[in-house]
Amino acid sequence: MAARREVTSTLDTLTGGTHTGRMTNKLDRQDRSEGDRARARAYHLEFWPGMAAYAVVLAGVLLWGDLDGGSPWRFLWAVLPVIPALWIVRAVLRHVLRSDDYQRLLMLQGLAGGFAVAMIASVTLAFLEIAGLRIDGTGWLIYGAGMLGWILTGAVAGRR
Amino acid sequence: MNNHLRTLREGRGWTQGVLADRLGVSRQTVNALETGRYDPALPLAFRIARLFGQPIEAIFIPPEDEVNASAGR
Repeated sequence: MAARREVTSTLDTLTGGTHTGRMTNKLDRQDRSEGDRARARAYHLEFWPGMAAYAVVLAGVLLWGDLDGGSPWRFLWAVLPVIPALWIVRAVLRHVLRSDDYQRLLMLQGLAGGFAVAMIASVTLAFLEIAGLRIDGTGWLIYGAGMLGWILTGAVAGRR
Repeated sequence: MNNHLRTLREGRGWTQGVLADRLGVSRQTVNALETGRYDPALPLAFRIARLFGQPIEAIFIPPEDEVNASAGR
């Protein structure tokens, strides 16, 4: 008489346990694939040099830019960090192009969430200013709200 | 949309990562396909069908109401 096989997976249920059940535990591993690792490596290789350059330029601007001074050159200093930030944008865009349709869908949901939060934050702050509330650094508040919305929406979309 | 992707993958002894590499997508995408959270676009559906040597309709199961709707036409 054939030994009774234990049902260990969906495959066993569907095939009447005709395959090696023990194997499916290994097959259920949640490791990243070779392609995932290669895409992540390529992204990190492009993203982190841009981030490092941004930090260096930002430190230089804060040290020597004299942004509170009266020199007209201070405006040039103020926009200098945008140059490495563009490199970061390029890295993110290339990462999107390397991603598949489902990953792009998740990224789009994250970006849409971030955009909605940034828009609501900007409208809220604008009306508060119209009402006479003096708020410093509104640009940074909107930036922070948008980034937070992007991260949170992306995390929720990825977990669904 | 439900499908037999997990059964077919396990029948070949592949992990989700291996299938992802063979299809040129992420492991997360394979997981979403297997759990029915994501319906593939036609190019990916054809790649899946070609990889397993089966027609698309043998791998993907349309929802019951869509089957009934097309039968009633």
